[in-house]
Order: sequence, then structure tokens, then C-alpha cells
Amino acid sequence: MRSVTGKLALAVAGVVAAGVLIGFYVSKLTTQAGSPTYTVPVKTGGAHPVVDLTIQTVAAVGPALSPNPDWVSFLVRDASGKWRRETVWRLPAHATVHVTIYNFDGASGLRNPFLARPQGVDGNRIVVDGKPLAVLPPDEASHTFAVPQLGLIVPVAPVPDDARNQCGYAPCSLSMAHRTETFTFHTGKPGHYRWQCFVPCAAGWITGFGGPMQTIGYMDGFLDVV
Amino acid sequence: MTTMAATLRAPLWRRLVGFNLLTAIVLGVGGWYAGWFGARAIVGPSLDYFADVDYNELSVFLAYLGGVVGFLAGLGFLNYPLARLRGYPPSLREKETEGIGRYFSLCTDHKVVGIQYLWGIGLFFFIGGLNAMLIRFELLRPNHQAFPAGTYLTLVGLHGTMMMGMMTSGILGPFGNYLVPIMIGARRMAFPRIEALTFWLLMAAGAILETTIFFGGFPTGWTGYVPLANEANPGMDNYILFFALVGISMTLLGLNMIATIVTMRAPGLTWTRLPIFVWGVLSTSTLMVLAAPVLVATLSMEALDRTAQTSFFVAGAGGSNYLYENLFWVFGHPEVYILALPGFAIVLELLPVFARKPLWGYRLAVAGLLGVTLLSWLVWQHHLFVSGINGDLRPFYMLSTELISIPTGFTFVCGMMTLWRGRIRYSVPMLFCLAWFFNFLLGGLSGVFLSDVPSDVTTHGSFFSMAHFHYTIMGGLVFAFFAAIYYWVPKMTGFQLNERLGKIHFWTMFLFFNSTFMPLFAAGFLGQPRRVVTYPQGLQFLNDWVSVSAFCLGASLLLFLFNLVYSLAFAKVPAEANPWRSKSIEFQLPSPVPVHNFDRIPVFSSDPYGYGEAPAPVVAPAGAPAGRS
Repeated sequence: MRSVTGKLALAVAGVVAAGVLIGFYVSKLTTQAGSPTYTVPVKTGGAHPVVDLTIQTVAAVGPALSPNPDWVSFLVRDASGKWRRETVWRLPAHATVHVTIYNFDGASGLRNPFLARPQGVDGNRIVVDGKPLAVLPPDEASHTFAVPQLGLIVPVAPVPDDARNQCGYAPCSLSMAHRTETFTFHTGKPGHYRWQCFVPCAAGWITGFGGPMQTIGYMDGFLDVV
Repeated sequence: MTTMAATLRAPLWRRLVGFNLLTAIVLGVGGWYAGWFGARAIVGPSLDYFADVDYNELSVFLAYLGGVVGFLAGLGFLNYPLARLRGYPPSLREKETEGIGRYFSLCTDHKVVGIQYLWGIGLFFFIGGLNAMLIRFELLRPNHQAFPAGTYLTLVGLHGTMMMGMMTSGILGPFGNYLVPIMIGARRMAFPRIEALTFWLLMAAGAILETTIFFGGFPTGWTGYVPLANEANPGMDNYILFFALVGISMTLLGLNMIATIVTMRAPGLTWTRLPIFVWGVLSTSTLMVLAAPVLVATLSMEALDRTAQTSFFVAGAGGSNYLYENLFWVFGHPEVYILALPGFAIVLELLPVFARKPLWGYRLAVAGLLGVTLLSWLVWQHHLFVSGINGDLRPFYMLSTELISIPTGFTFVCGMMTLWRGRIRYSVPMLFCLAWFFNFLLGGLSGVFLSDVPSDVTTHGSFFSMAHFHYTIMGGLVFAFFAAIYYWVPKMTGFQLNERLGKIHFWTMFLFFNSTFMPLFAAGFLGQPRRVVTYPQGLQFLNDWVSVSAFCLGASLLLFLFNLVYSLAFAKVPAEANPWRSKSIEFQLPSPVPVHNFDRIPVFSSDPYGYGEAPAPVVAPAGAPAGRS
């Protein structure tokens, strides 16, 4: 027959063990498949701030940045010039955002040609390698950067299949084959806006919508407008 | 005897070696790694897509299958088949009569299996509840705060799948296994090893589901719809394996129950004398045996789509995602009644005891149970009203769904008439039974809005439907589950549960259950969809109210857990053999029930509901011939 003290000790041990397990479980859930928030530095403050957002898209994120090295991904460049696999970006409200995308991936093609026409950006134009474009051939689009709640749709131009010095794994250097695309949009009022790529570009899944396409930290994320 | 057993007891280290849970976990982990690396080494090089994704489906599937085989081998489930292959004669494993070790190993005593189920299912019930708390924490604010959107979906899926999968056996597992043989006058279940297997399969399944978080989770909720499931992370494989194992466990559990009830009833126990609880088990088992194989087959096809590149459910390659949806609900809607029917049966079993009256309309009550069993096969497409199915099908499924309220109403009529002019005792089990009527009534009435096509079009997929099924399943099954715990656990353990704590548990649970789910009807009408991490600012007050109520509901359940531990481990007040003055046969036996149940096989001469009537002997007097069971 166990003493009351022994039983109490067992009960306390049980509660502590349950607490540790629950703590581990919750901490795993708060981090898994997630992406920490990257605060984009403000270039010019005031009522209508201006920020620069520099991102790259890569066909394979590589073992240095992800446990899923073969997954297609967006990366963001921080103030020190380092590429980070973080897709929740904090931006100021009512800001003008100058975006530069360096794309190192080839063409995938759009399922919906509607997405080939840039919308929600200044002048409804994007600039690809210095050349303004009002529409991209749908079959050539590599990815899209789209924020449906802000009405923003931007197709991303591809690296040609026969380009030399193509990037294998991210982070890719600008000396490798890439396309440079710039555009400007405005954040509007505070909110939590989902952004994502609408090109089914996840290799290995039946229709290309699996894995990185539905995981924060790869081909989608949030604009945390504050 | 006890003293001799104690002196002969082996040291602790020796008892830990052998076929038990510890060995099972070790072999389970070993089997997991064997499967994982085996898939990569043997199958991987021949498949191109292995190189395309870091995680891959075959490794996950084979790893977990290896793990399950190792787990079962560690428990000793392979010993008997191997012995038979080696020519040993058939035998029944000796029952272990004492010691806590029997609860952590393969045991063929139906009472031990019942208690294993009670604790095992209870554990996963609390894990599912923890996930519910995390969901409500996330919904305290309109925008995302703690969990990424994908993780929120995984949480919702984990909560729903765990509850729907585990609680299918929530009554039949603990109370069916423990009580059915006793109630029918038998000494064991028809297939004792299979009985134990159903429990351990369920435990393996629960572990598999929870470990989905290591593989990216799954985004589909408990329904696992394609094409989303085809595109999902390898965590989806955990969902498939979980539900497939649950399906196998359910099928075997149901078969065992049917075989036991049909073939092992004691002399005199005619169908019209069968306790209504046993009728409930029989009808639920029938649904399990017919519905669960559909689930297993469906998930097998989905597993092949994800691993072997078949296309059963891939619309672009000749398959059909509608096929999945239909097959899932062919299982899924009977599944809802697999959850509900044991609740009906428990309430009808307990009401006569606490109203001190015979069960009113016994045959009507049985007809109600059988009617629901039959009609539950004809309603599944009401889940697909807004999916684009042929519109001509809608009226039939609308009417068949509404028709099922008739046999359900039989239960209400029998219950109400049993209470009419009864001398009601408001003990804790009775309070839970009465709450069941209130909750299930609201669940049923709100179900009418979902069965009617015009209103379903606006309420489908909203928090309204979520509130509806929580009223029927939590308000129905879980309240009945607690009624059963407070009623039978003293018999099962030999110790009384604290009545005062039980009443506090009941009132807080009843109050906060309604405070949690009633506002969700309003949230649904205002347009808040299920399974979405964000919602409009204007719904924050409702959501905060619900979240705080849910936390209080969780606290109420912790109070129950405290009561259980306090009463069984500290207070240890011995239970009387018949604390409720019941006429049912299990209460004519000592508490806890002896290993072999009966010294002599009883002979029944009446049903167990003769309250207020001249006493009729339920158990034959000593000297009656004892049959072998």
C-alpha cells in the first residue's frame, strides 16, 4: 500500500510531466510550418512612409535554409543584405512599397491567363529587366506575387531554359541567371493580408498545389500592415 | 492467495521485461525506423518523385506500418498465431488476476480491456480537448496571433479527427467491453484476443495522428476531402493511417460485440429481456461493421493515390473527387449515429434506475434504436447539398434526413414517459441524463435547418453547423459518457466517486457547454465560416465570449479529472455493491466484479426494469447448472 505522500508525489510528477509534454506540443505547433515576422525597414517616415522590399524566388530553397531543400520558395533580403526564408512581412499602413523581385526560376505557365496582367500596382505596369510591361505571356509566367485583399496581382517573368549559370540551390547570387522585376504598390489601412503565388509550382505533387504552395515560409505568407 | 502472489512476485526489472507496453514502444520505434529506411533503400531509387520532395509518402506509410507491427509484436499479439502455426492446440490465455501490469499488456479479461479503454480513450479525449482550447485561444482575436494559418487548420483537423475517431469507441470500448458480457450472463467476450487488439490498435492510431505535427500537419479537417488531401503534406498520411486503423478497430469491435450478444446470452435472456444498453451496443455494432470497412477501403484508395500514383480520386486522371466525398459520408453519417446511439442507450438504461419506474415502451425504444440504425444509411448526401450534386437528389435526402427524427423521437418519448410521475433522484448520473435531453433537443432542432436544402445553403460550412454537431455529439454522447462514468465506475473500480465534486463538475460543464456553443449559432448566422483562422472585427465579442466559456468548460473537465484521481487514489471510499439500487445484473455482483464474473451462469426470468413491481429473480438461485461460457 503506497503512502499518501507517495501518491501525492506521483500525482505532482504526473502533472509536471503533462505540463512538459503540453509545453513541447504547443511550442512545436507555434513554430511548425510557420515563418517568423520580418519587419521591413522604413526608408522614409511620416504619414505616407516609403519602404523598399527586396525578394527573390528560387526553384529549390536548399539545405542551408530549409529542412525541405527541394521546395520552391520566396526569400526576403534584410537590411544587412542577408537572404532570409521568412514570408510574413510587417509593413507600415498607407505606405508606398517599392518591390524588387529577383527571379531565378524557369517558366511554369499560368492556369488562369487573367493573372498575366499586372493589377493593383502603380500604372498597372511592371518593369522587367528595365523594360515596362502591361502583360506577360501567360505561358511564360514563372510565379505570381498576389495579395487578393489588396487587389494586387503581379506575374513574375522566368529565366529562359537555356540560360547559362542557372542557380541550383538558394540563396542565389546576382551573378547567376535571373530576371529583375520591379513595381510599386500601396499598403492602405492596417490589416493582415494573405499573399501567395497562384502558379501551381510545387514539384512532386499531383497538380502542383502541395507542400510549399500551402506552407507559410515558402510560396505564401502574410503582409502584416500596422 | 494474495500473500502468496505477493511473495512470489518478481522484481520490478524482471516484470518490465517481456511482452508489455514498454517492449511494445521499443519495438514500435524500431519498426518505424525499419520501415522508413526500408522504403528509402528499397523502393526509393525506382521512383522519380522520391527525389522531388524531401518528405515522401512511401517512407511515412511504411514507417508507421512497421511501427504498428512492432508495437503489436511487443505486446505479444503475434505469439498465439505463431504458436498455432507451430502446431500448438488452441487455447485461451490465462487471465491475470491482479497487479497493475495487466493494464499495460495484452489481457483477455474483458473487464481489464474495458478499463484500459476508459483510460486510453480518456487520455486522447483530453488531448483533443487541449486542441480545442488552442483553437479558441487563436480565435480570441480576429487576426492571426499564435499559430500560422496552416497550423490552425492542423489544430482543427487534429481536434475533429481525434474526437470523431476515438469517441466512436467511447462507449462501446470501456462500457461495452466491461458490461455486455456481464449483462448477458457470460464470462467473456466471444473473441477475447480480438477484443484486446481493438484497444491497442486504437492507441497506436492515436499516437500516429498526433505525430502528424512532425510532418507538416494536414489541412483538411476531419473529413480528409480530396483534391486537397492529394496535395497535402505528408502529415496527411498520418490522418489516413489513423482513420484506417480506427476503422479496422471499429469493425473488429463491432463483430466481437455482435457475436457475443447473439451467441453467448445466458439461459432465459430472450431478446425482449435484453437490457436496452445491450440493444444500443448491438445496433451501434451493426453500424460499425457495415460502415467502417467503407472508410478503410476509401482511405486505402487514397493512400494508393498518394503513394502508388493511382487516380481513384484524381479528377484530372479519370478518377472522381465526388467518389471520395460520397464514400466518406457513406461511412461518415452512420458514424454520427455510431456516436449518438450509445448515448440513447445509456440514457434509457439509467432513467428507470433514477426514476424508480420501469422503462416505458421498451419495444418502442428498441424500435427507435433499430429505426435510426436503418435510416442512417439513407441520409449521407445531405452533407453534399452545396457540393454540386445532382439537384434531383436533394429532395430525397432532405426528406430521409427529416424522417430520422421519428425514431429519434421514440427515445425522447420513452425517456419522458419513464420520467412521468417517477420518484426522481437527482444523483450525478441522472443529472447528466437529463442534460442529455436538453442538449440533444437543441442539437436536433438546429439539425432541421441543416437538413432543409434552402436553409442549408446559407448555414452549411458555418459555425452554425459546427454548433449543431457539438450539441449532438458533445451534448449527446459526451454527457452520456459522463453519466456512464459516474454510474458504472464505482462498479468497475470498487470505489465511489465524490458526489459533491461530481455535482460541481456537472453544473459547470452544463453551464459552460451551453455558454460555449449557443453563441456559435449566432456567429454562424452572421456568416463566420468553419476552419478559417480570421474573422470580421464585428464578431470579436461573440468569439471572445465563446473562448472564455470554452476555457471554463476545460476547467470543468479538469475538475472531473481531479475528482477521478482524488476518489480512486486518495479518498478510496469503498463502493457498495449496488449504490443506485439498480435491478440490473451487474449490480447484483460484488464491486469490483470478480475475475470470472459469476460462480454460476445466471438464468434470467425478466428484464432488469421491474421497479415498483414485485421482485422477480434476475439471477437464478444457487444450485442452477453452470454452463461453460
